[in-house]
Amino acid sequence: MHTDGERGFILHRYPYRETSLLLEAFTHGCGRVGLVARGVRRPGKTFAGAHLHPFQPLLLSWSGRGELGTLNRVEAPEMAIGLKGDAMWCAFYVNELVLRLLHRHEAHADLYDAYDDVLRKLSQDGSQEQALRIFEKRLLAGLGYGLALTRDARSGEPLYAHQTYRYLPDEGPVAADAKSPGLVVAGATLIALACEALLDAKQLREAKSLLRMALKPLLGDKPLYTRSLFRSMQAQA
Amino acid sequence: MSDDTKALEDLKRALRRLPGIGAKSAQRMAFHLLGRDRGAARDIAQALLRAVDRIGHCQRCNNFSETEVCAICRSTRRDSGLLCVVESPADLVSLEQSGAFGGTYFVLMGHLSPLDGIGPEELGLPKLEALLEGGVVREVILATNATVEGEATAHYIGELARRRNLLATRIACGVPIGGELEYIDRGTLARAFSGRREA
Ligand SMILES: [Zn+2]
Repeated sequence: MHTDGERGFILHRYPYRETSLLLEAFTHGCGRVGLVARGVRRPGKTFAGAHLHPFQPLLLSWSGRGELGTLNRVEAPEMAIGLKGDAMWCAFYVNELVLRLLHRHEAHADLYDAYDDVLRKLSQDGSQEQALRIFEKRLLAGLGYGLALTRDARSGEPLYAHQTYRYLPDEGPVAADAKSPGLVVAGATLIALACEALLDAKQLREAKSLLRMALKPLLGDKPLYTRSLFRSMQAQA
Repeated sequence: MSDDTKALEDLKRALRRLPGIGAKSAQRMAFHLLGRDRGAARDIAQALLRAVDRIGHCQRCNNFSETEVCAICRSTRRDSGLLCVVESPADLVSLEQSGAFGGTYFVLMGHLSPLDGIGPEELGLPKLEALLEGGVVREVILATNATVEGEATAHYIGELARRRNLLATRIACGVPIGGELEYIDRGTLARAFSGRREA
């Protein structure tokens, strides 16, 4: 089986056997795939794998069925997405989420677009937090665990910006009385997330807690490396 | 596995732990050493033992050294105000051979790799920070690789330097000597352009 010129990104790379690389790639048409790039680590062939890095838009051609394909050809149709400093750490976090939450060989064209989009947003000057929250929201939706962001889960009424809600993990937002469990979120935050509008500082904080709560059962007990690194870096700053 | 091949299997398994050595190469090396060159086998074994017993890390620059502080760090002819940060001892050797640099080094022994769980602590950056605190270093030259992880590492260490009001510079990246523009990849060309300077 051959796949030709498929749009994709490398999420992570590992040395493989004596001279090869094992690539975890995310492609538009085939989702996450494992690919072996043979012979690119031979001494003197330093540049054979030059494009095979994260955040570089690629056209990948490979063959083989089963767990691992063999990379036959790689082209770089444009330059690597320019990520500097914190933006690059955010992008590593995005890669870790995709690696942890997507299974191999499940096509997710919508998620691929969301991935491409978040990398480009991170490379621009806008808010990194905003870009990450929108990506997390789209990721959950693409995996079939989308947040309920349109109606009160109990009354069925539309959400009101000025109302405060409690977000219950298995149900969605419920108009809050002081005693109810769940995460406190303003209606405005839920509405802004739903239409991917610009979130202000308070809304970003609420959205972060909400999305973290929603991602938690999918990620399980194993902590995200990038998240703990972030924390230790901020502790030093 | 029968008893009479156990030592051979152990040797092959040990050789396979070397980077880039798979089952076939390990077997080839084992047969060569045992069949043709037992003297070399003994020399290698002794050299390895001596090396692991004697070679540690330089207290200052973290490079391999048989003394507490290595010869480069001890040298009075080198400018200890200039600190060049590299990923590996091999990078240091390349820079030394180029003769382009008269300062001192810090060898990271790797790079930050968030998805492998290698963060600042794992990379031993507290040792580098202590060096930056020492009041001797004026400029930190970031000579990590031009890979994604190398850039992330350079950025992080650059921040450590700036926070201490030290100058942080990144080595230039661009057209190789004798390189024809036509054959240079786009990424390198773009970097060469963004890093251009007055001619
Ligand atoms: Zn030293």
